[in-house]
Amino acid sequence: MALPLPPGLTPSEVAFVCELEMVTVVPRQQLKSHDLLSGPTPALRPPHRAPLPLWLALLLKRQRRANIIPPPWLLPTSLERILRYETETSPSAFSPPPPHPHTVSVLPSATDQMTPPFLPSSTADAPSGHLPYHWLELGEILLEACSDDIPDPDKVRTLLRDLREVRMAKMRASTKELEGGGVVSLRGVGAMEVAEGRQFVVGVMDGLRKLGASRETERRRREEEGGDGDGNSDDDDMEME
Amino acid sequence: MDISDILLGLSRTHDPLAEDDSQYEDDLGSGQADLQALTRAWINERATIELLSWPKDGLIERVIDRVKAQIEKVEELTGDMDPKTNFSLIIIQTEVERWKFLIRSFLRARIAKIDKHTLHYLSTPELHARLSEMEVAYATRHQQLLHEHYLGSFLGSFPQNLQNLNDTAGGISMIGGPDQESGVFVRGLGSREFGDQSGVVVKGRGRDEDGEVEVERGEVVVARWSDVKDLVERGEMELV
Repeated sequence: MALPLPPGLTPSEVAFVCELEMVTVVPRQQLKSHDLLSGPTPALRPPHRAPLPLWLALLLKRQRRANIIPPPWLLPTSLERILRYETETSPSAFSPPPPHPHTVSVLPSATDQMTPPFLPSSTADAPSGHLPYHWLELGEILLEACSDDIPDPDKVRTLLRDLREVRMAKMRASTKELEGGGVVSLRGVGAMEVAEGRQFVVGVMDGLRKLGASRETERRRREEEGGDGDGNSDDDDMEME
Repeated sequence: MDISDILLGLSRTHDPLAEDDSQYEDDLGSGQADLQALTRAWINERATIELLSWPKDGLIERVIDRVKAQIEKVEELTGDMDPKTNFSLIIIQTEVERWKFLIRSFLRARIAKIDKHTLHYLSTPELHARLSEMEVAYATRHQQLLHEHYLGSFLGSFPQNLQNLNDTAGGISMIGGPDQESGVFVRGLGSREFGDQSGVVVKGRGRDEDGEVEVERGEVVVARWSDVKDLVERGEMELV
């Protein structure tokens, strides 16, 4: 009954989440609108493009009822540009994520706090030149399910692999920053990279924290006795397990 | 299901032309909103070792009702089977299965946490309030069975003063809780604390120094769970 998995999504769960991303399809058959739990799907009339969640697009693709238009960032020219950015312009940090498609206005709105997979970052009119949060899973899924819809799929596959390696090295290098604790930014990281790196990163972090626990409590005590009274109200009982 | 849902359903059946693409994109009607809330709740619950509060706005009850209604619809549709509706059924059922997976995994993740630290979550009123009614019943019964079993198999032959499972004598509690300081991956969702939208400010505690870091909207960071816990509860950050 109880879930036997450790904290954090497994790769297949990440792929499941990725399947909620919107993609653009070109239907090859008519299909009426369906009243799904998440709202009605658009009625499909060839050759009009329509946005669909990836899981449904894959279902239609498998039955040859539709073609999927690859997102602009997945095209070889875009991937080459990103790879160049990752290796030359910014050899230590990830390339920036795509800008948030919904700008924040004065009035609070439901789109303010929207995050992947519910952002339209992989539809046909998404921006190119940025890797969205689910880039690796989406790329792999599309390459497997509809390589005939993607121009130059072999090149895309190689580029994705190169990007993955460059970025994995950055992920591993980020553990250096973890040494002192605190908050470490991984701006631009992807979902699968988080899933892959989680055990390692969290393990390093927890291990270092436990090793440095006495030093940390000591520092806190010193700061309090130093009496510059910065109002640090944290209770400092670091409990060792 | 409330009145706005019913109205929404009515307008949908009366005006089939309204279902074009643009409307679908903008439609944050309750189904889509619930899916987003459920996905976030599930990922949050899966990504940390501490039990989070049961969603207060009746989210889980609502999505379970939705799934039930949809299954009834499927049963009706199967009555008049013809090859055309067959594919529609596949689509509808695939979606239902996806929702069911989310709900089931969410509940199972919670049960795993309750199983692990049952007494911890039953020990204080604040922690107790995080559980749903059913979970409270489960946890209480689970603990009771466990205690009875322990008593019957070995605790019974111990001296009376050593039979407690929740002893706090000597300043050390027997009740273990999850490690509040464990590392988590979180994403900033933006904050409205200072009027306009800005980044979320995280007070990170480190070994050599403490510091405040502003986390942009959409930025993913690694932090200690205890430093970001309040922000996650307030909805200014989400776990990934």
